[in-house]
Amino acid sequence: MKHPVRWTVGAALFLLLAMAFAWWRTGQAEWQQWQRRYNAAHPDDPIPLGIRSITPSRTGQPELCTTCHVGIEEISPSHPLETFGCVSCHGGNGLALDRERAHAGLVGGRNPSGFATMARACNCHSHTGQAGRDGVERVGRSLMATYAGGIALVRHAFGAQPDQEGRYGVMAAQDPNPPPGFVAALKPLPVSAPDELMPALAAQGVTASGHPIDTRFRRSCLEGGCHLSEPATPQPYRYRSTGCAACHYLYADDGLYRGQDPTIPRDEPGHGRLHRLTTAIPFSQCNHCHNRGNYSLRTMAFTPRPDLPPAGPSLSDFLPRQQRRLAEYYQPIGQFTLCEWELDCIDCHTSDEVMGNGHIADAVTDSQVVRCRTCHGTLWELPQTAPITAEDEPAMRQAQLNGHGKLRVGDRVVVTPRGEKMWAVREVAPGRFVETLKVSGEEVEVPLVYGSACQQKPDEQESRYCHACHAYPRDDALKPFLSPP
Amino acid sequence: MTRMMRVLTSTRRRRRLWQRHQSILYALHPDRLPAESIRLTYTFGLGGISILAATLTILTGLFLTLYYQPTPEEAHASIVLIEDVVAFGSLIRALHYWAAQLFVLAVTLHMARIVFTGAYARPRRLNWLIGLGLLVLVLLWDFSGYVLRWDEGAHWALLVGTNLVGRIPHLGRSLYLVLVGDRQIGEAALLRFYGWHVIGLTLPVVFGIVYHLFRLRVDGGISRPPRPAGRPRRMVSKEVLFQRETIAALLITGGLLLLSALRPAPLGASASLDRPPPTAQAPWIFLWVQRLLRHLPPFWAGVGIPLALLTLLAAIPWLDPHARAGRWFDRRRGPVQALFAFIALLLIVLTVGEVIP
Repeated sequence: MKHPVRWTVGAALFLLLAMAFAWWRTGQAEWQQWQRRYNAAHPDDPIPLGIRSITPSRTGQPELCTTCHVGIEEISPSHPLETFGCVSCHGGNGLALDRERAHAGLVGGRNPSGFATMARACNCHSHTGQAGRDGVERVGRSLMATYAGGIALVRHAFGAQPDQEGRYGVMAAQDPNPPPGFVAALKPLPVSAPDELMPALAAQGVTASGHPIDTRFRRSCLEGGCHLSEPATPQPYRYRSTGCAACHYLYADDGLYRGQDPTIPRDEPGHGRLHRLTTAIPFSQCNHCHNRGNYSLRTMAFTPRPDLPPAGPSLSDFLPRQQRRLAEYYQPIGQFTLCEWELDCIDCHTSDEVMGNGHIADAVTDSQVVRCRTCHGTLWELPQTAPITAEDEPAMRQAQLNGHGKLRVGDRVVVTPRGEKMWAVREVAPGRFVETLKVSGEEVEVPLVYGSACQQKPDEQESRYCHACHAYPRDDALKPFLSPP
Repeated sequence: MTRMMRVLTSTRRRRRLWQRHQSILYALHPDRLPAESIRLTYTFGLGGISILAATLTILTGLFLTLYYQPTPEEAHASIVLIEDVVAFGSLIRALHYWAAQLFVLAVTLHMARIVFTGAYARPRRLNWLIGLGLLVLVLLWDFSGYVLRWDEGAHWALLVGTNLVGRIPHLGRSLYLVLVGDRQIGEAALLRFYGWHVIGLTLPVVFGIVYHLFRLRVDGGISRPPRPAGRPRRMVSKEVLFQRETIAALLITGGLLLLSALRPAPLGASASLDRPPPTAQAPWIFLWVQRLLRHLPPFWAGVGIPLALLTLLAAIPWLDPHARAGRWFDRRRGPVQALFAFIALLLIVLTVGEVIP
């Protein structure tokens, strides 16, 4: 070998360079890049680069998730990070910082509250034996999850079943204690012919009905992203999650994330607006399923409404909130009273109505019991009320969870015909009712029919009779906003 | 730079560096060696590379023992901790992994070099057997390290491997219990494999290497062609070999560092016997066994054929009684070389067949 010393020096330099490169690479871990990205977005309040660990009291196990997900929003005040951490709900490996390893074993992918995993991830809300803390079981039997009533109606209309009783659901459901008038079980919607019954479908309990409508029904309508168990159609205005998060995890119209977690792309539609669960659910979240178009029985196809801006700014960017509500309502013949325009859906529709009362509903009338008179009373009687008797009764917990509730034990609140206490509608003085709006927290006086000049008849209490006099002129209200001078 | 070169190349400086300080590695070399024995195209430095790889494997392994927890609950999590949290943990584990792979590769190629140059010829027959034993130890060392990952793949490889041992007639059940320490794979098995990996195989490998080198010196040093009649053998100072070894060690260590920085050691999902991995795969050194298992009864694929191949390899010096060392691919040793090439090719084809289905 010629020049052995030069070779030795060269090899030593090579080793030094390799060591320098290895040293540099250890500073290029993915988590460091996320933290640098976070700091770039927060130049006034940067964080020191380093591994971030929390030890939630519920598990006592350290978790490093916030090392990458630095800045992520706490999921809700009732699920504090220091108590629940991330792994309690999301699973995964809390001690890993490599993306693949950390996310191995995630419960339900990005959404642990889907129907397949909600009993595990949201186990505080399942089979607790406490009133109002069985949301997992209730929502699985609700109309929005099963669509049992709609399926029964359509199948009956096409002659696939002799009556309108619920037999099938988008997903199967069982009720061990059905009260009179409620069904005990729903099977998953069938396919038409036995040769369409793929093994994967059969494993889900799907059967073959022998009726030609069922397969078309499955394909055209029920897989269209309308029900709580199915992923949303990835289009503006329709983004949402599934399971609990379908309602409680809010999405912007454009499906873009607007929080502080650097790992969630801000330009990729399909993410929640923030990493946050809420019970203060605005009408816009409901609208991600409702008022998005119609489906036709004849063609068995969904037709999205044509009047929404196709892309770019959402309605809320150029319409004030209440005008937006008016514009959002799609049915041309639809009529609004002022309160239906000004309030959010959940200000009238209660937890029992929306999430179900624990029994399998197969008709809207099984679920929806709140009427105008529930809050406004009639000419002959005030709204029905009941007192709050305990700190841990469902109405008190709902008020606390919402964040705007001002309820105390001893307060009287309006009750629905099924006896569910509407925590937001309090009787503040004899014959005087105030409603706390669940999204904004604003308090509004509830006008009463009792003692007014209303000309209602005792047997005409449905909303259409109220709309006859109290409908708001929709087109007039919208005109100044949709056609600016 | 020129000045530095001048300083380094001065004889006085060299003496001060290597001789006055009596470097133990320097001192271990014989003072003078036949030039033909250390020709790069004769040995390719594979023995030295093996020793370097073993040294790096052991040194990095020492660091890993500071964090590794040999319990089923903690094993995988502690590796995740090493990989993701411990400073330079991922680099050190990758260096451990790649140095170990280099060790297996270098030892295997070293064996091939011995066969194709006839270096096992008398008086080096015993050293051939020692080397073969070292190869077996190195493979077991590698396998036990693979098991310690306690990820899906390792767990299933352990299950398959130990069940194969259980297939050995008469002894199988007892050997299985010795290896696994229980009726099924669990805490005892992991602790045992940890013990074997860290001490039970490491010490024999170290002592085996030392004895292999000792025998090398006793048997007359690295093999070489017979001295041509009437011509003196060209001898070189040990400094030449030492310089080459230093350069090779620096380059190989640098290369391993680069590789480790770019390609971390693999780690699958945490082991769970309830959830079989999508593709259960043995470590690459035993992929050929896995391939055989697809076609042959477990005993023959996992025990019978590997033992037969090992016996054949062990017998090579005796199948070639008139071997003379020092020439690559000597035609007079054709049958033995063909036998070895056939075995090597068979294992390569089986391995590749398992990688590319």
